[in-house]
Amino acid sequence: MENKVLREQVEKLATQVNGEVEEILGELILKVKASYINETLKGAKSLANTPCDFLHDLCGLDAVDHLEVIYQLSSLRGPQRLRVKAIVDRENPVIDSVTGIWQGANFLEREAYDMFGISFKGHPNLKRIYMWDDFEGYPLRKDYVTEPIEVRNIVRTRIEGE
Amino acid sequence: MTIANTEELLLNMGPQHPSMHGLFRMVVNLEGETVTKIEPKIGYLHRGMEKLAESRTYAQFIPYTDRLDYLASPHNNWAYVQAVEKLMGVEIPERAEYLRVIFGELARIASHQVCIASTALDMAGWSAWSYAFRDRERICDMYEMTAGSRLTVNNMRIGGMSNEPPPEFWPALKSFLDDTPEMLDEYNGIFFGNEIAQGRLKSVGILSKELAENLSITGPVLRASGVNYDVRKAEPYSIYDRFDFNVPVRYGCDSYDRTIIRMDEIVESIKIIKQAVRDIPEGPIMAKVPKVIKPPVGEVYHRVENPKGELGFYIVSDGTTKPARLRIRPATFINLQMLPIVSLGWKIQDVVAIFATLDAVLGEVDK
Repeated sequence: MENKVLREQVEKLATQVNGEVEEILGELILKVKASYINETLKGAKSLANTPCDFLHDLCGLDAVDHLEVIYQLSSLRGPQRLRVKAIVDRENPVIDSVTGIWQGANFLEREAYDMFGISFKGHPNLKRIYMWDDFEGYPLRKDYVTEPIEVRNIVRTRIEGE
Repeated sequence: MTIANTEELLLNMGPQHPSMHGLFRMVVNLEGETVTKIEPKIGYLHRGMEKLAESRTYAQFIPYTDRLDYLASPHNNWAYVQAVEKLMGVEIPERAEYLRVIFGELARIASHQVCIASTALDMAGWSAWSYAFRDRERICDMYEMTAGSRLTVNNMRIGGMSNEPPPEFWPALKSFLDDTPEMLDEYNGIFFGNEIAQGRLKSVGILSKELAENLSITGPVLRASGVNYDVRKAEPYSIYDRFDFNVPVRYGCDSYDRTIIRMDEIVESIKIIKQAVRDIPEGPIMAKVPKVIKPPVGEVYHRVENPKGELGFYIVSDGTTKPARLRIRPATFINLQMLPIVSLGWKIQDVVAIFATLDAVLGEVDK
């Protein structure tokens, strides 16, 4: 029932941002290009009747020919749920940060940067969060080579000021 | 009159520090004793769960989920197996659903007892710590009877449960439930009623409702800021729509409410377990699932109400036996973002209190 209302609204939003709407296992998915992300999320946040105003999760995904940033939106006041997928170029992975809309995206964007190398424009403190600062490569990308045991056994020396 | 400025001090707390609940480090800038800036540093326990998942089959990953929030491992199993079941379209037997609820709610009680105990310990309340841990042991004993391990239970499978609890489980559960009102009275008397504990926690670290929503905070921390939201009610998964229980909400927004709300949740959990024990049907505990688990191409996002917040699993399947992408939405990792914002202007000992009430488990934060 509410899915139908939400779907109508999301389709209207999709035409504004050149997006595609699909439904998998009863969940609405809106696919957009990275350049439209701020507009899309602001639009989703202020949908009439069914605002998706709670950023539930943000994560990266490697789809081999491109990268994706996935936003799980929901609301604390209704059952609506929406998954927004932003398609990011693999060679030049840049997307606008959404920390201006939700402060909660801070750590999540740092994690996506750490694991996929997606850089978020406008993020207040874009640094690696799980791996150490001089770590090379982006572990969750499909082309990441897991290092051999000899490399793993090298003891890392402390850098100054750490 | 000139006010003498004290020199700013940079203090490293952790990773090996008794109040850090695991391997958590924060770099604190202090002026005198007042905090001017906090930078949390995490990743000391990072095991790369999401990467590991991509090279393991769906069933092989279940024991790894135990190591996320290791104080409430049945919940992690539950969230993961339900996500895979949703993706495959598997219906599980009634009895298995009830057993999952019983174990899930026992885990919630155990996890909240640890939260109360460790908050008390951080406020130097040794006795309160030992009381809560003494009672939690009985839940660990029940785990041990059923699954053989006391912490990482791992008794849920894709399609049901691994085994039936032994006959001695039910009397142990009953006597535990009968003793709980007395236990809660004891915690109230020794910790929450204590003047020192109240002084240390009340109106410390105010997290307003708007800030909590903006920071994507979930679970008891959100509910202590006056938001009535619980996935068990908002989007009943499993069989939660059959039970009669309330969602405790508190409006104080401070550390005291963030701790005592867990007492209210224990009361509700006991209610749920009592109803589940009353209604549990006889029957099989495992659905018919294929030997080789190969979900169809697709993706699913499933979330459950973990004791510490919302735990979500986002699984993308490419039709093979291994997930193409498995994303874990850790509750406390996201809740931790409030620490640098809320702690500003408080004294160093208050930061310890605020961190304790978040109930962070570094296994989940670091994945």
